[in-house]
Amino acid sequence: MNKAVNLVGKALPAIVFGALFFGFWEWAVRFFELKPYFLTAPSSIWGEFITNFSFIRRAATVSGTNALIGLVAGTVLGVAMSFGLSRFRFLNQIVTPLAVALNAVPIFVLVAVLNNMYSITSEIPRRVMVTLVVYFIVLVNVARGLTQVSPTHVEIMRSYAASDLAILRKVRIPNALPFLFVSLKIAAPAAVITAFVSEYFGGSQNGLGSRISSNIANSKNAVAWAYVLSACLLGLMFYLFSVLMESLNRKGEVK
Amino acid sequence: MTAVSVRKVSKAFNVGKSNQVDALHEVSLDVKPGEFVSLIGPSGCGKSTLLRLVANLLEPTAGEVMVNGKSAVKARLDQDYGMAFQQAGLFDWRTVRKNIELPLELKGWDKGNRQTRAAEMLQLVQLPEFADHYPWQLSGGMQQRIAIARALAAHPPLLLMDEPFGALDEMTREYMQGELLRICAATGTTVVFVTHSIPEAVYLSNRVVVMSPRPGRITKIVDVSLGGERTEDTRNRTAFFEAITTVREGLRGMHAAHVGLGNDDR
Repeated sequence: MNKAVNLVGKALPAIVFGALFFGFWEWAVRFFELKPYFLTAPSSIWGEFITNFSFIRRAATVSGTNALIGLVAGTVLGVAMSFGLSRFRFLNQIVTPLAVALNAVPIFVLVAVLNNMYSITSEIPRRVMVTLVVYFIVLVNVARGLTQVSPTHVEIMRSYAASDLAILRKVRIPNALPFLFVSLKIAAPAAVITAFVSEYFGGSQNGLGSRISSNIANSKNAVAWAYVLSACLLGLMFYLFSVLMESLNRKGEVK
Repeated sequence: MTAVSVRKVSKAFNVGKSNQVDALHEVSLDVKPGEFVSLIGPSGCGKSTLLRLVANLLEPTAGEVMVNGKSAVKARLDQDYGMAFQQAGLFDWRTVRKNIELPLELKGWDKGNRQTRAAEMLQLVQLPEFADHYPWQLSGGMQQRIAIARALAAHPPLLLMDEPFGALDEMTREYMQGELLRICAATGTTVVFVTHSIPEAVYLSNRVVVMSPRPGRITKIVDVSLGGERTEDTRNRTAFFEAITTVREGLRGMHAAHVGLGNDDR
């Protein structure tokens, strides 16, 4: 009970701010009589969202599936590769600078090239793109977690005659777990963003990204905004999922 | 049989390179079973290096290290010693009980025996009510007691400690010294203890080994004749202060010699 009150107390300023923001937006559109192609009122966006809900849901499923498949594949590959990096030093020295550099540039534009490799209706280029983006985020973070262990911990394990495998299982992996969840928190929204943006580079016109651009092209601004709203919701869903995963991991520690 | 036997041991780092460091030069030391020996000296005198050679965390460049009548390697593989560091080095993702069970897990003990032993060890360090807490919920002194319980969980005959109380405040430190002596008396453990503090070395030890740097070597061994039973009262006795003075002279003589020799080292 107390906890619930506390939560509401924490969320209240954000809720009030959000309400004021949308209130001001609605008021400004009406008061200044802004044209819909310049700025659409929240009420009409919401109206279009309800009217087009089944289409929006279908498009969100397409983009969401691409993001999810890429997220899972990228995480699995990233974790696997990070074990390799932590085991072989030379590999680490070659791959890590590359991975760090790639995290700093918009590699999702590669999807244009990937599109050329597959048929025009294929979802594979988009999924591969999401996988790549997620892969490097997870790889860099988890490899760091596996290698940056306390020297005291390693000395203690060696004093107990622990094998490298035992040190991996009892020190490195538990040490890397929080790093994995942090990387998921970064990678989950990045996966959704990549899934949308890769739709701008051609291919099937079935996802949220392509729906937004085609509605804008047809001057259906309110509908485009409704798809934007759905894109926000999908991104939030992925983020909340990663936060939930992290809190499940923490549950064992916090009393 | 000696608990620890160090014979003419030298240790150099970066051998053959321009930045070669002679950490230890022909050091010899014997520690009898049940004895408490402290290594004291300024930074760079090789006291931690000597401890790590005994622990077989480092290999000597020359000479021989024997623990419990075995080679240092064999002793490590047999878990003949426990070790504690300045950082308690507890694992944050394990409960206090699971931390203490760690060396037993690595020895392949079954769950029942591990739990029984962990409970015994918690009793020994007088923290049984904290079994299911996590390390970060404990104070620094409590964490260090858990680290000692973990080091002794498998009942090794030897305990190696590298400035274990260095990060604690003075009051906690004195309390911990009393606790350590009580625990070692109860278990009959031999201890090799590295420290910076002269009173700490004297209060705890049967013998204080004074070391000097560049290259690291033993300059003096001070026998502390304070008897077996040490209490808070021991800290006020004349013999305590005399031993402190002797150790300090050992360290200072070396310091004077060092200054007199000029700035050849920096």
